[in-house]
Amino acid sequence: MRKGYHLKGDTIIINRELTKLDLFVKDFLDILKKHSDYLLVSGFVSISSGRTRGTEDVDILVPVMDKNTFEKLFKDLQKGGFWCYQADSAEEVYSYIKNLQNIRFARVKEMFPNMELIPITEKRKAKFFEFAHPQKMMVQEFEFKIPPLEFEILYKELVLGGQKDFADAKHLRTFFADIIKKEKFKEYEPIIRSEL
Amino acid sequence: MKEIDYVALYAKSLKEDNRLFEQQKRLIESQLQGSSSLFKRMFSPNFKANARQYLRKIGLI
Repeated sequence: MRKGYHLKGDTIIINRELTKLDLFVKDFLDILKKHSDYLLVSGFVSISSGRTRGTEDVDILVPVMDKNTFEKLFKDLQKGGFWCYQADSAEEVYSYIKNLQNIRFARVKEMFPNMELIPITEKRKAKFFEFAHPQKMMVQEFEFKIPPLEFEILYKELVLGGQKDFADAKHLRTFFADIIKKEKFKEYEPIIRSEL
Repeated sequence: MKEIDYVALYAKSLKEDNRLFEQQKRLIESQLQGSSSLFKRMFSPNFKANARQYLRKIGLI
């Protein structure tokens, strides 16, 4: 028997095996990271740290990129076995990115899980803040970036506010009770409230 | 016991005993397998076209 997680430097190591959901996210990130930075947010943060619930979407913040970069990313994702819900043409899908609308990718011949790309700019203050202050998390050899835990918890409680979100927040508060810092909640609250 | 209390109890146990992750893995993978089979049955053989039609109908695209 081991603890559920431990710290290695600044990285949170979750002591569990990889799931098929992790492998889906990892395959997607392996392609995305060649073209863009990212931050995994919302449900995946809770589920990757043990929250037992189903999920269909994996939300990921991505800064708005230029058309040329997006076209390369889009082609690589298609070559890597992903399809885009919105359309098959990079040009058509780029109009969503430009207009800050979310787009989704799943594996070919699958609907779920899907990666929901949320385009962000510095104007989306709270989202940009969490993007700029990532926390590293690791499961086996899979390393990925999530928001600061205190930010993720408050965002779920103050902005999202559904039953599922409160349960996710409760899970994170309890599971990570030993490393959560109270002063961080005070620091993050006004930033998050600016999005309300 | 309310659902939120159960969530806290589970998280507290998981913090101390990582063996509980095994049941979480089974649940996640069983959900993915179920959903995959369902949508393959619903949308084949023209998976993408039929899926997009469905996504438009439910307002997701």
